[in-house]
Amino acid sequence: MPDETGDAIRFIREATKGPGLRFEDELVSHLPRLRRVAHALARVPADADDLLQAAVERALMRRDQWQPGTRLDAWAIRILRNLWIDTVRAQGRRRETFVPPEEGDAVGRQGEQETAVELHNIGRAMGTLPPEQREVIALVMVEGFAYREAADILDIPIGTLTSRLVRGREALLTALGEAA
Amino acid sequence: MTIDPETLAAYADGELDPLSARRVERAIADDPAFAAEVERHHALTARLRGSFATLDTQPMPAGVEALFARPDNVVAFPVRKPAPKPQRWWGAIAASLVAGLLLGQLVPRSGSDLGFEGGTAVAQGNLARALDTQFASTQGAQAPVKIGITFRDRAGALCRTFETGTTGGIACAGNKGLWRVQALQGGAETTTTAYAQAGSPIAAVLAQAQAMAAGDPLDAAGEAAALKGR
Repeated sequence: MPDETGDAIRFIREATKGPGLRFEDELVSHLPRLRRVAHALARVPADADDLLQAAVERALMRRDQWQPGTRLDAWAIRILRNLWIDTVRAQGRRRETFVPPEEGDAVGRQGEQETAVELHNIGRAMGTLPPEQREVIALVMVEGFAYREAADILDIPIGTLTSRLVRGREALLTALGEAA
Repeated sequence: MTIDPETLAAYADGELDPLSARRVERAIADDPAFAAEVERHHALTARLRGSFATLDTQPMPAGVEALFARPDNVVAFPVRKPAPKPQRWWGAIAASLVAGLLLGQLVPRSGSDLGFEGGTAVAQGNLARALDTQFASTQGAQAPVKIGITFRDRAGALCRTFETGTTGGIACAGNKGLWRVQALQGGAETTTTAYAQAGSPIAAVLAQAQAMAAGDPLDAAGEAAALKGR
């Protein structure tokens, strides 16, 4: 029902939002988390940075849709994940099933090399997982979201979340060469 | 006794209710294979966390930074806030720290309780000392740093909530490592005694601690045992 009531409600929401910079300040504080999630989802670092930028831009644009008092990080992650799903769909499964070898050479500066290689190996192993397992691993294992919170962000039942978590974890251990 | 993999994972993540958790603990006591499985889960979690945490030391992509750099969106780093914000200023200080890192303007003062190690905030000085040695049950009312709850996160790191002045936060440390500050919350009212009400900065810190914790907070004995290792 698009009528003047909608505008009135939007106006009230604006008015109760408090001092101007709060949204940006809080969003900035969640950038490290958003970046980690972006890198856990997208397999190529350059894609992850593009994804992060697109998500932050959209979050800033759609700030009116965020309900103050709810978790901004969860809201922003939902935006990021929707963008990511769009690109996964666009690229199709073909690119999701193997990592081109030329992306296999992580080069870091002295001293950073070891951590860069480790992150690269983890990223590669994550890349072998189906997207629906990868997103569960990203939220629960990497970011430490409670099952309930992660299931809400992903909009899936908690039973689905736990079974994807277990399958994803096993697949990840296999990909890392640590299968029992 | 059989424990399905989902239940075991949920136990490792601290997601089981106390009754189910005790059932799993009995199974673990009977069968070391279950214990090994939980250990494997913790090890993988720690490895994933540690690996993605290395991203935090790198500057944000210029394109992302630019989104916040418009004049109407400038996030300044206030050395001292003129007045505490009334309430729910969640992340103000953490945001300032991040903004400081982004814009390269943050200069840690000597003698400060916070320093920077590889791009993340770490406790030092009085704060580090309190985190290392102070017990919640025996600390004096006048202690400059107050320790709140102590817990383990899902990667097994030791975490403690603290308050100092008008700032509260959470710091976590791996085995004998530095205390990395995971959350900071400014604006706790010192002029009023009712600063632990729901919706207050301290309540927000506690809510975040609860979300991070695997299982219940450590009791006094657990706290003492955990600090002994440091």
